[in-house]
Amino acid sequence: MSAKVFIAQENLGTVLDGLSRKIRLWVPASAGEDKHGVEFVPYRPGLAPVLDRQSTILPKKVMLPQVEKLFSYEYLKNPEDPSKVRVKLEEPEDFEPTLVFGAHPCDVKGFFVFDRVFTQGPFVDGYYKKRRENTLFATVVCQEADSACFCSSVGSGPADQAGSDFWIMPVEGGYVVEALTDRALPFMDALGTAPTEAQETAAKELHEQVARQQVGNLDLQDSVESFKTRFEQTAYWQAMAGQCLSCGICTYVCPTCYCFTISDEMKGLKGERLRSWDSCMFCTYTAEASGHNPRPTKLERYRNRVGHKFSYFPEKYDGMIACCGCGRCIRSCPVSIDIRKVVQELKENACVCA
Amino acid sequence: MSEIKTKQLRELVEAAFPELDTVIGWEAGYDALHTTPVFIKDAKDIGKLVWNPLCVRNLSGYLVKTPPVQSADENKKIGIFVKGCDSRSIVALIQEKFITRDKLYIFGVPCQGTIDWRRVMKAAPLKNIQSVKMDEKQLVVEDADGTHSFALEDVLARKCLRCAYPNPLMYDVLVGEPVAPRVTVKNAYKDVQELENRSLEERLAFWTKELDRCIRCYACRNACPLCVCQDRCIAETREPKWLSQYMHTSEKFLFHFIHSMHLAGRCTECGECERVCPMGIPVTLMKEELNKITRELLNYEAGVDPNAVPPLLTFSPNETGI
Repeated sequence: MSAKVFIAQENLGTVLDGLSRKIRLWVPASAGEDKHGVEFVPYRPGLAPVLDRQSTILPKKVMLPQVEKLFSYEYLKNPEDPSKVRVKLEEPEDFEPTLVFGAHPCDVKGFFVFDRVFTQGPFVDGYYKKRRENTLFATVVCQEADSACFCSSVGSGPADQAGSDFWIMPVEGGYVVEALTDRALPFMDALGTAPTEAQETAAKELHEQVARQQVGNLDLQDSVESFKTRFEQTAYWQAMAGQCLSCGICTYVCPTCYCFTISDEMKGLKGERLRSWDSCMFCTYTAEASGHNPRPTKLERYRNRVGHKFSYFPEKYDGMIACCGCGRCIRSCPVSIDIRKVVQELKENACVCA
Repeated sequence: MSEIKTKQLRELVEAAFPELDTVIGWEAGYDALHTTPVFIKDAKDIGKLVWNPLCVRNLSGYLVKTPPVQSADENKKIGIFVKGCDSRSIVALIQEKFITRDKLYIFGVPCQGTIDWRRVMKAAPLKNIQSVKMDEKQLVVEDADGTHSFALEDVLARKCLRCAYPNPLMYDVLVGEPVAPRVTVKNAYKDVQELENRSLEERLAFWTKELDRCIRCYACRNACPLCVCQDRCIAETREPKWLSQYMHTSEKFLFHFIHSMHLAGRCTECGECERVCPMGIPVTLMKEELNKITRELLNYEAGVDPNAVPPLLTFSPNETGI
């Protein structure tokens, strides 16, 4: 067993083939030559992972699938007494050990937010917890920061190893991979051979160089009180959310958005209860059976998104903000709404226009 | 060149501002490669307005989408900037009586094409973009690594490469001189023609592969100025429940076909649905196909004549096309 190995670029395919026989493997890949949409997909031999740019769709769905079956059910009628019905339930058992290869530090960081909600609160979500325990992350040191990135502004950074089991550093001719946790060790020998001293030094230098980078220099923390001050200032929120199209992109590409809805899909007497991603940008979000919706327009919906991330969540979970600074909501927004600007302005002039 | 137009458009807004309540335009975005819509309510903010090939968003949707931009003062109008394609959306919305012409003050901008930033990033991932310049042949981006040049053909939006209406069809004032269209209307359908030439199986395979990537974020619908069902969209209604929550390809197909069918003979090909797709699915192609059919069968083009009635919104016993 070794704590560091080198994977030559030309061997990457073979290494992933081997890994995929041992553990369920997810990698970032692009759907076609002319496509930009990189997303995490189950690995299959021949698939070339895209490791040099941030994915559009992050590995959130590995832990919280966009749609998942909570259980299937069937109504069984009693032939002796048709008015009596029993319900037969079947739980899914799909929690295989999984490795996410090629995540970015921000992708992994997002799960710390999920953990608070799904595993450390008053209710423990068994589905999420089992997946979380069974999933390993091989993370690439990030050299891809663009103008939408701001991970350093929310207490992370492009060389943040928190939550990762393997650390991948691109060097000339391939990758130096380091085991960060004991869980990674059993896989190391199959990944490659010991790096040369030069490769190890190059990797170390790269890590140190990236770790010094400041990606975003705003202070986006401690916004709870300013958000509350701003809450009723509709003119402010109108100015911030006027452009918003009320689509769900920002929430679907966000590593820390976890809102879900539950629905029953039924045919005849059989059905499945599904949990699927919801979005606070959708008009049905928080719509009540009475017809009333406390968040009737994009103004209230957008305010909820900012409030949840920078006020409600930190208030509830010891100051932890529900944002990892990946910039996807800014980058993918059809009208380029910048959440950094909104949060910064929460504090500036917060007391002026009451 | 775009600096001159920006200056000119600010002057035009300044002149018209006394009779306007709000001006919907574009301002600088979070980096030099992006702009974002802006709503000018105060004359001191006119300086925020810009015009360049990065002013991509079709602003006409803001006139109808909940909550629509409206004038608080009955005597004042809403000012809005439109490119050629965007002006057709305005025409279509007037045709369908969602907005009225006399409540609008339209600033028309002749357009030589808009940049698809994703094509730029695909060609070269850029870091810390400093500046963006464009002339008639190329786009030059300066970033942390240096200067990158792109041929316009490689970074313009697909809709711009097939644009037959670069000049606004309806306006109160024009910002700059009209420009020559890249193609004629007749030649604007080469992309769908290419698909039509494939076998049914190949077409099915193409759309299955493309639509399978759909994440059902509904940005294509929300960005569309003509998608006016708003909060009663069948994609989300519970009663009746047309679409399940499953992420099967069939759900995605159904949504996109219904979306397209609702736009048959109404879509003005502004390309917003395709532009905003985070997965890069060429969803406007479906609408182009339906428009091509509408043109061939009914000799009708959406968003051109404010007095015309779209063929699928009327009934004529004397219909000759079908």
